[in-house]
Amino acid sequence: MNRPKRYDNIDGTGEMFMGLMMLGFTLASYLEASLPVNSSRWMHLVVIYGVMIPVLGFGFWVRRVIKNHFTWPRTGYAAYPRVGGKSWWIGIVVALVISAVVAAGFAWLRLFARRHDAINLPRMGMLVALAAVYAVWVFRMGREHPWKWLVVIFMALGLVAIALIVPGDVDAWFRPVALFVGLVWLASGGATLYSYIRHTQPPAPEAE
Amino acid sequence: MNEQLRAISELNRVIHEPGRLMIVALLGVVKECDFLYLLHETEMNKGNLSSHLARLEEAGYVEIEKTYRGKVPQTLLRLTRTGRAAFDQYRKGLKAAL
Repeated sequence: MNRPKRYDNIDGTGEMFMGLMMLGFTLASYLEASLPVNSSRWMHLVVIYGVMIPVLGFGFWVRRVIKNHFTWPRTGYAAYPRVGGKSWWIGIVVALVISAVVAAGFAWLRLFARRHDAINLPRMGMLVALAAVYAVWVFRMGREHPWKWLVVIFMALGLVAIALIVPGDVDAWFRPVALFVGLVWLASGGATLYSYIRHTQPPAPEAE
Repeated sequence: MNEQLRAISELNRVIHEPGRLMIVALLGVVKECDFLYLLHETEMNKGNLSSHLARLEEAGYVEIEKTYRGKVPQTLLRLTRTGRAAFDQYRKGLKAAL
């Protein structure tokens, strides 16, 4: 049964969290680009972690506040089992395999693109991967909101537009893409939250 | 008696009732939840839900804890170890029967 997992995003907080994370990546990437050319790898890591840790902490805090004030009093509280034991290891292995496949895919695309200048394959790969990830997410988690498919289409069109407008390689292209995707996810999650608050009411005090 | 028919006759009757089956299936995939969550997900009325929960608690399948979230009373519910085992057994039995 997968309904409880979808319930976790009934208020749009999952999507808003993803959007916030992408905005964090954008900020970290812009700050990293502004570092002196000869700065050490450690400096880059400090910038990335220095931005991402507070952003993720803020995201978790906001999520908790929304759940506490809106979701749990209206449609109830549910906690999911802690990931542990065998399933934790399976999760790690799956994440490692997916990361390796994605990294190998991008490396191959970059190599291929150097030989064939006509098509910028890394851009296309990133575009397809982002749109596909969001489409899969909407299919699994957002089936209650058919309008999310319009957001998927809007996001795909926006990514195509950025790919056509913004010059430079994948590294230069990543920042506007992450900014755009982050804003889209944040807005879509915000719209879900607004719709949730509008269409649900806390029960009368004698509910239990 | 045919094996499949025997499997049907041996299904756990406490869990087999649709209302209780919904509750056990929901509790089977969460660590814990509150009364309001079950009310919202199952769309039962409070009386029905309470009576099904009382029956499941009596069978030792569900643990009910009365607590507070801030100043608001909250009823936390979770499946016991016996409840999980019974639900697993029920699923296997249903699979064998069908």
